[in-house]
Amino acid sequence: MRKLLLAAAAMLACAIVVPLALSSSHREAPGIALDPSADNTDTYAWTAADSPGALTVAADWIPGEVPANGPNFHSFDDRARYYIHVDNTGDGRPDVSYRFSFRTKVRNKNSFLYALPGASGFADPKLNVIQRYSVVRERHRYRHGHDRVSEKTLARGLPVAPPNIGPKTFPSYDNFVNAAIRSLHDGTKLFVGQRDDPFFVDLGATFDGINLRKGTGNQGEGKDDLSGYNVHSIVMQLPERLVTRDGKAVSGADAANAVVGVWSTTERRRLQVSGGRGGHGGWVQVSRLGNPLVNEVVIPLGKKDQFNRTTPDRDAALYGKYVVKPELAAVMNALFGVGAPEDNRTDIVQALLQGIPDLNQHKGVKGPPAVDTIKVNLGTPPASTENRFGVIGGDTAGYPNGRRLGDDVVDIDLQVVAGFLKGNKVPLGDGVDRNDKPFLATFPYLAGPTSGFDSAPSTRVEPGHTP
Amino acid sequence: MSRLAAPLAVFGAVLVAMVALNHGATTPPAPAAAGTGGRDYAALGNTYLARARETGDPAFYSRAERAFDLSLRTHPAGVDGLVGAGTLAGFRHDFREELRLGREARRAAPQLARPLPVIADAEIELGRYGDAARTIQRLVDTKPGLPAYARVSYYRELHGDVVGAVRAMRYAISAGSSEEGTAYVETLLGDLELMRGRTAAARAAYRSALRDVKDFPQALTGLARIDAAGGSLTRAAARLRRSTNRLPLTTALTFLAEVESALGRRRAAAADLAAARVQHRLLRRSRTLPDAEAVLFEANHGSPARAVALGRRVWRLAPSIRSADALGWGLTRAGRPGEGLVWARRALRTGSVDPTFRLHAGLAALRSGRRGEARRYLTAAVRGAAALSPGARRLLEESLG
Repeated sequence: MRKLLLAAAAMLACAIVVPLALSSSHREAPGIALDPSADNTDTYAWTAADSPGALTVAADWIPGEVPANGPNFHSFDDRARYYIHVDNTGDGRPDVSYRFSFRTKVRNKNSFLYALPGASGFADPKLNVIQRYSVVRERHRYRHGHDRVSEKTLARGLPVAPPNIGPKTFPSYDNFVNAAIRSLHDGTKLFVGQRDDPFFVDLGATFDGINLRKGTGNQGEGKDDLSGYNVHSIVMQLPERLVTRDGKAVSGADAANAVVGVWSTTERRRLQVSGGRGGHGGWVQVSRLGNPLVNEVVIPLGKKDQFNRTTPDRDAALYGKYVVKPELAAVMNALFGVGAPEDNRTDIVQALLQGIPDLNQHKGVKGPPAVDTIKVNLGTPPASTENRFGVIGGDTAGYPNGRRLGDDVVDIDLQVVAGFLKGNKVPLGDGVDRNDKPFLATFPYLAGPTSGFDSAPSTRVEPGHTP
Repeated sequence: MSRLAAPLAVFGAVLVAMVALNHGATTPPAPAAAGTGGRDYAALGNTYLARARETGDPAFYSRAERAFDLSLRTHPAGVDGLVGAGTLAGFRHDFREELRLGREARRAAPQLARPLPVIADAEIELGRYGDAARTIQRLVDTKPGLPAYARVSYYRELHGDVVGAVRAMRYAISAGSSEEGTAYVETLLGDLELMRGRTAAARAAYRSALRDVKDFPQALTGLARIDAAGGSLTRAAARLRRSTNRLPLTTALTFLAEVESALGRRRAAAADLAAARVQHRLLRRSRTLPDAEAVLFEANHGSPARAVALGRRVWRLAPSIRSADALGWGLTRAGRPGEGLVWARRALRTGSVDPTFRLHAGLAALRSGRRGEARRYLTAAVRGAAALSPGARRLLEESLG
C-alpha cells in the first residue's frame, strides 16, 4: 500500500494543482505537495528462480507516470542521489549501499524532441536526450557509533533506458532497452530505466465512497488502477558474497549469513540559504521505503517527514507504538467488526519488522530489533510455483520473506492486520490479484513500460473467482 | 463469514481511514470520525484555490475560506486546515494572518515541513528577512525539494545574489513537482535570467514551461517581455492577449496596456487598463488587501496622490522592500522625489538588483537633483532592462537620454 495516496492524488484529476495567487507580483512558490522524482514507490528483494546465488533487488520511483506525458518526459533527478541499502547484521544500519547518480545530456539543444523517429540505439544521434548514471558501492563500518564509509565507483556513464515514447520513435523498444542491461566485473547485473509499474491495487472503488465492485474481497473483479502506468526502476542482481556479512555465498537457509535486509532511499542536496554565494551543504534523505505497508499506512502523516528522514535502526524507538497498536485494526473493527486484535500486535512487529524466527530473522542479533527493512533469507530456494499470498499462503519464498513482484501485498497486509497470524483468518482483499502485464522470466523481470502511443491507464479488471 | 458481507468495504474504509490518519493530525481522529472532517474540507478548499487560479475568478477565495473554516471547526489543530487557511491569507495579502496560521500549524505538527513554506512566505512579505532566512534554512535542511529550493532562490534574489538564485532555481526545476509546479519555477528561472540580461537562457526557460503546461500564462508573459524588449511589440501584444485570455492577471493586463499604448492602439490600451482595474476591484471585493502591485498601478495609471496614501497603508500592512519601493515610487510620481528617494533606498537595503527598484531609485535621485547617485542606479538598471515593462523602459531610456 506504499504510496497509494500519492498515486491516487495524482490520478484524481490532478486535484493537487499548485495553488498560486491571482495577484501575482508577490512570490509564493508551491507548497509541499508532490515530490515524484524523489518518491520511492516500492522495493522488492528476492531470489530469482533463474539466478540462485544472487540477491535480486528492484526499487521504483516516480508514482503514476502517465506514458503519454511528453514532450518533457519523467526522469530521475540529475541533482538527487538514489540508494539501495543492504543491512546484513539486522541492526537496521546499512552495511552495503549502492548509490546512483544521474546526468542528462541533450545532444541537439535546439530540438525539444526526446528522440527522432526510428531511434535505434544509445549511440544513435536520433536519441536526442540521453540520461546516464554512475553507481558507487559504499561499505559501512561502525566504530564507536560512527559510520566509516569507504566507497568505490563501480561504473560511470551507463545508459538509462529511455521512456517508451511510441513505436514510431522506438520501432523496437525492447531491443533498444535491452542494451541498458549491464554486467559489471564483480558479477553485478544492472538495469536502470522506465518500466511498467509492477504494483497492482483497486483504488478507485475505495475512493468512490467505498463503492464495491463485488460483495466479497478476495473474489476478483477489482479494477487495477495502476495498470498502464509506468515508473522508473533500478534493478540489481548481486552475487551473495557482495551483500552477506562475511562476504561469502550462502550455504543454506540456516547459514548465519543467510538473511539480509533491504530498503531504498532518496537524498537531495541541502543548500545554504545565504552566505557562500550559492554554496551548498551535505545531503538530506527525503524518502525511504522498505516494507510496502509501513511508510504509508502505519506511520501517521504527522510523522511522515520524520520517517522519511530517519534510518531503520531508530524505527522501534520512534514508530514502534504505531505498529504495536495499529489504528487500522481498530478502524476495521469499528466499521466492519472483523474481530481484528487491536493491541499488543507483536505478530505484526515480528512479521514485518523483526523477521519470522527460523525463516527470515537475522541470526546472532539480540532482540532482534524492529527495523523496517525487507528481510530475505537468501538460502530459501525459489518456489517452483509462486503463491501470491506468500508465507501466509504456505509459500515461504514469498512476502514477507523478501518481496517478489507478484506477491499480493495489499491482500496479505489486510489479512495480517485482521489477525491472520493470530488465527483470525478473514478472506480480505481488494479484488485485484496480479499485475496487468506479465513479469519477465529473466532479468530485469519487471515488464516493459506501456508506450505513450498506447497510453490507456487504469483499464484492467480482474476476472471474478471464488475466494 | 456472513458478518463480513463487505470485505472490500473494509479495505476501502482502511484506505479512507489512512487518508484521515495521514492527514497530519498529531493525534489521529477517532475511528468513528475517520473519513469525514478536517482533511476533506481542507482538500476542498485547496481545490477552490486551484479553481481560482484556473478561472482567474477571486470569488473562489470566499468558497475556499468557507471550506477551510469548516475544516478548522471540525479539527481546530488540523495541519491541512491551518496550512490551507494560511495560504489563502497570503493570497489575500494578509501576511500577518498567514504568519499566525503558519505558526499555529507548526505548533500542531512540529515534525512536519509543510507549515514552513507558509511561514517563510509571510516573513518575506513582512520584511522579516532574518527570520525568513532561518525558516527557509530549516525547510531546506529537513525537506529539500522544489518548494524549498524555489524559496532559497527567492531569498538570494532579494539579497542581490542572482547567480546563486539561478543555481537554486535550477535545483527546483530539476526536482520538479506537478507539471504546473515545474512550469512555474521554470518561468521564475526565465525571469531571473532576464534580470541578468541573458535573453536566450530566459527564452529557453519560458519555452520549457510552455512544454510542461500549454499556454502557461506567466511563461507567455515572459516571452512577451523578451519580444517587447527586442522591439517586436506586435508579437508581444499577441502573446499577452493569449496570456490574459487564459488568466487575467493585473500585471499582465497592465503590461499589455503599455504595449498597446506603445503601438499607438489607444483604445485597446484603455480597455486593458479598464480590465486591470476591474480585476483589482474584484480582488478587493473578495477581501484581498492591497499590496505593492496595487500601489504601482495607481502610481503609473491612476492618481499619484492616491498611490501615496495607498502606499502608506500597504507599508503598514507589509513592511517589505517591495512595499518600500512602491511607496517611494508613488511619492516620486506625486512630485516628492526627495521623500521618494528615502523609500527607494530602503527598498534597496537588502542588496536587491531588481531593475524596477533601481529605476525608481534612479528617477527619484535624478528628480531630487542627485545626479551621481541617479547615474549609479540607472546604469545598474540597464543590465536588467529586458525585465522591465515598456513603460518603465521608456522612462529609463529618457532619463539616460
